[in-house]
Amino acid sequence: MPPKKVLLAPLDPVHDIALKIINRGLRDAGYETVILPPDLPPEEIIQAIIDEGAETVLISRTLGYGVAEVLARFIDLTDAAGIRDRVRVAVGGMAVHPELAQELGFDAGFGPGSTVEETIAFVDGREYVKKFNFERKREDDLSAGYSYEVRHNRIRELLGRITPLILGWAEGLTSPGVQRAAVREELWDVKKWRDHEEPEEFFAEYPKYCEESVRNFYEKGLLHPKTRLFSQKDVEKLKAYVRRSRRDLQTPHLQHKLIKPVIFNQYGTGCPYMDIAHIKASEAYGADGVIHFDPSWGARTEGLYDGFLTHQEDGTVITPANLNRIYRALEYGTLWQVRAHRGLNSPETVVLAGKIGANLTKINICYGSLGAGTDPARLTVDAIAAIKYAVQYQMPFDVVTNEELCGVPAHKALAGMLIVAHLGAALGGRPILQPLFCFSPEVMIGGQMDDNYVDFNVAKIMALRAIMDAPIWPGAPIGFLTQTEDRVQSSASTAFHASLAAMLEVDAISIASADEAYSGGPITVASRIDTLRAVSEGFRFFGHSRMQVSAQATEWAEKMIEGLERVLQAVAARGDFVQALYDGLLGSREEGAYPGRAGVNTVVKK
Amino acid sequence: MTVPDVFAYVLDALDIETLLVCTSEEEGKRIALELAKKLGFKDVDIVFIRFQGSGARVRLRAYLNRPGDQYAWLDLEDAGR
Repeated sequence: MPPKKVLLAPLDPVHDIALKIINRGLRDAGYETVILPPDLPPEEIIQAIIDEGAETVLISRTLGYGVAEVLARFIDLTDAAGIRDRVRVAVGGMAVHPELAQELGFDAGFGPGSTVEETIAFVDGREYVKKFNFERKREDDLSAGYSYEVRHNRIRELLGRITPLILGWAEGLTSPGVQRAAVREELWDVKKWRDHEEPEEFFAEYPKYCEESVRNFYEKGLLHPKTRLFSQKDVEKLKAYVRRSRRDLQTPHLQHKLIKPVIFNQYGTGCPYMDIAHIKASEAYGADGVIHFDPSWGARTEGLYDGFLTHQEDGTVITPANLNRIYRALEYGTLWQVRAHRGLNSPETVVLAGKIGANLTKINICYGSLGAGTDPARLTVDAIAAIKYAVQYQMPFDVVTNEELCGVPAHKALAGMLIVAHLGAALGGRPILQPLFCFSPEVMIGGQMDDNYVDFNVAKIMALRAIMDAPIWPGAPIGFLTQTEDRVQSSASTAFHASLAAMLEVDAISIASADEAYSGGPITVASRIDTLRAVSEGFRFFGHSRMQVSAQATEWAEKMIEGLERVLQAVAARGDFVQALYDGLLGSREEGAYPGRAGVNTVVKK
Repeated sequence: MTVPDVFAYVLDALDIETLLVCTSEEEGKRIALELAKKLGFKDVDIVFIRFQGSGARVRLRAYLNRPGDQYAWLDLEDAGR
């Protein structure tokens, strides 16, 4: 059968772009088309339809004034010419909508936002079925394809000395955190728990390793002061909300034509319901992954609570029910990271996240112990256990350098990150390097960002790539301390940093919301959407364009590597990684890093 | 079936953004808060304000739901929405 012949005609003095796009789509789909120039009188268009023997006619009218009269007259003319019965006629334009088209006698009308596919469906004479993107997004292991080879000879040798030092030091040591993780691992079966089977043995054993406030919960039912339990009725309402949110949900590809970076949004409003609302909005606006942020007191508390809990301040409490409910609300393909990097529940959080179904976790020693308040010895013992569980549950984990925000210079923070990453890889893990893209105290004082926010961040990526073949996920969030409370400035800043990350072809980024710098209240969902939209626009603007790395960035990268090597040399020479943390080799008190106190003296021999 | 109050559809907060004609940031703040009060909002904060030239660019926020509250939007399905 010969292809259907379609005639396209702008019934407009000037505008014909939309018709040209549709013409290309139709031709690609195998149709024979004839496209007429703008500004022809209707009579000429009618004659062309007759001469060409077109079966379908697509008229466009961009200008809004007089649209009804012009289009009605055109239909009258097709009647008068005796072709109306054998030709299907549709109209499209900014002032057109299906009801108007029908009223004027057209077979179809396409308004703003219509797609080429819709028009082709009309030409085919079939109903248009809107395509929803239910395909799995790139879920994937961000660490795939990386060898973790240390490319820099001297640094390879130093890391090769430090990793056995750490493992040797930790040999035979344990902590309440490690013990709780073992109880969770052995006595808490997620399948049985999901089948509402009470883990009695777990509840009998677990509180023994918790501090008093958490024991009071398990033994006396006392909740943390800022929390309350949801009711079953609440749960049913939440399920209905998630169903509604899913009904028409599309998950767009934010990166335009790029493959990387994967975009992560952090949630943690305190309330799992509100978190889910943030997650559903993030998914709808193209976030590829979400990160669970827990309250800071949770990191300083020995033990995890239980039950479906809401919390009145920042950070959503880690409990099996909270994580499970959030996990169940995620779209197929949304990556989910549960952070476990800074406190007293690190290994158990990894176990719980792994059992419930997280894709990724976050493990750290240097930031957690120098910038987040946990005792270095305790976090070292716990992090080793956490890494082993991450290996068991096949979760890659990022290693962040947030101690930079305390004032630790980048080269020291990167040295600490590489020590933990090398340790992680040696234990069979898949660490992801998470340098900060930030306006840190170091550069505020040193002036490295006086001219631009680009070169120093580029230097970090260059340095890391020169040292190790590992995935890179700048965070967290990108643009830290560059954003203000101004929605536009904040979104723009994030978008610029995201575009820089894309040009550097990093694997993933964590982005802020437009409320990043606002501390007066909770982040709103609208602010989150604004930033996702801005990032999307950045990717659209730059596409595959690439920047030229400046001589300054190259010079700073070289200096960073030199400084980093000196730090590793000092740690190796100390012969004791944990002592190096206490002694400030990876960030000193003068630089704003203080060895944490939470969990001090809790490391014991097995 | 009762029709939900229109505020039930607001997930968390309303941001009101405008330029207030005033002579200083302080005056802008006062006017912004007065505006929120006049509109009937109670849980209000100024997220961003900058006085420059002829007035104050302001981003005023009224929280209708804070995390942990009972959210009216959870009842929308019961209301047939």
